[in-house]
Amino acid sequence: MVGVTGILIALIVLAIVLAVFFFVRPSVTAGPTGKILAFVALFILPALCAATGMSAHMQRSEQRRFCISCHAMAPYGRSLYVDDPNYVPAQHFQNHRVPADEACYACHADYTIYGPLKDKLRGITRIYMQYISTPPKNITIPGGYNNNQCLRCHQGARDFESNPVHQAIMDSLTSNQMSCITSGCHDTIHNIDSLDHVKFWRPGQ
Amino acid sequence: MKLSQIGMERLFRISSGLTIVGLVIEIVSLLWFHPLAFALFAFLGMAFIGLGIVTYLVSLVFAVAPPAGSNS
Repeated sequence: MVGVTGILIALIVLAIVLAVFFFVRPSVTAGPTGKILAFVALFILPALCAATGMSAHMQRSEQRRFCISCHAMAPYGRSLYVDDPNYVPAQHFQNHRVPADEACYACHADYTIYGPLKDKLRGITRIYMQYISTPPKNITIPGGYNNNQCLRCHQGARDFESNPVHQAIMDSLTSNQMSCITSGCHDTIHNIDSLDHVKFWRPGQ
Repeated sequence: MKLSQIGMERLFRISSGLTIVGLVIEIVSLLWFHPLAFALFAFLGMAFIGLGIVTYLVSLVFAVAPPAGSNS
């Protein structure tokens, strides 16, 4: 990721150097060579830098440390280290059932900027609340947690499909009528209010 | 023709300036690992770069079809 960012920054610096050249000497565009160079410097390169920059930012925002760099998200990051197998996110994170570096994104792939326009706008509202207004004490997912986030991995898996409880309610799960996390089955999630009373796992111990 | 040439150069300069500001913002946003960096790039950086590109394209249109009465 650092290498890709380095290449991107080098490309941006090249674009800046060329743009500065045309800023200082715009008269060079009078000739055909200058026109072609201006097209590259003021259209192709900036467009390329903007597109690759957006792609780099989107990839970077999938990282766990990006998510928990927001003050309001820090307890959610901390909950991944709870030493209790009943904590669903902690169990997934600690046992690498999801990529550890992208643990948040793995289970919240439809959240804010990753979701449709409505979610993207909601993400902007969150930024506003975080830095200008007051963030809510408890962060909730509007509409509830979508089972599809679980089923993306678990559907088709042998231990999930062969579980008689899952078999009995499969239609309700796949249609999102019964939530995986509020049905009384897998209801210990981040539980950030109880983090002061739980034991934490330390990697390497 | 001379007037349109001056206008075009001015537009090139504005386009270059906007693009430079946008690209500098992009570099800052890439070096700053924070959710605000994304907002900085998406709203400010992209806006400057986009305006720079649009200004450049406008300058091309201006050069191809200069407004009537500008040929002195």
